[in-house]
Amino acid sequence: MLLHILNRSPATSEVYRQALAAMGPDDRLLLIEDGVQGALGALVDRFAALEGRLYAQEEDLVARGLEPLCDPSVALIDVEGFLTLTEEAQKTVSWF
Amino acid sequence: MANDKALGVDGDLLVILRHGPHGTSWLREGLDAALVAAAFGRRVTLLFMGEGVTALVPGQKSGPLGQKGTSPTLEMLEMYDIDTLLVETEALALFGLRADGLMLSAREVEAAELAELASTHSLVLTF
Repeated sequence: MLLHILNRSPATSEVYRQALAAMGPDDRLLLIEDGVQGALGALVDRFAALEGRLYAQEEDLVARGLEPLCDPSVALIDVEGFLTLTEEAQKTVSWF
Repeated sequence: MANDKALGVDGDLLVILRHGPHGTSWLREGLDAALVAAAFGRRVTLLFMGEGVTALVPGQKSGPLGQKGTSPTLEMLEMYDIDTLLVETEALALFGLRADGLMLSAREVEAAELAELASTHSLVLTF
């Protein structure tokens, strides 16, 4: 299992498509920085194929005031959770 | 000065904010430019476009490492007499936001009005 990390918003950047194209069936995707916009109910459908493998950095959502708009299908993780995801993954792949 | 007209001294400034808070410094720089222009007596219109509409989401905080956000600056706009805030209707829909749920009151503009805004302001800065 690989951990893919996306820091760009799917509303303004197409790089999320490249991340999705490069993901294996068990790989996980973590949204960080502006990438957390993808966790919003209005944008999360871009990641519909991931079913339970989509994570978002909670601190970044909170700083942007976006936590209340976050879709319930997205798993929110703090920095400790980020570390755990990293430990569980064979390696990480960054998309920016 | 001969250049006054070209530089927009006789007219208004449109600042287009296209980036959200925290991820980059574009939003902060755009707001700084707007505040400086207003301090020098320009009439400033702020247009929140695309991802820029997320600058107006209520309840923003400092970043995880204590980085200052931009919402305190937005709260100061009124003090600088910047009261023409515009927000792109399509962008609100894209992010699932509503104009009446934003931290400041802003008038919605349709995509069709953007060209007119850009042409009627003598100076346009995009951030």
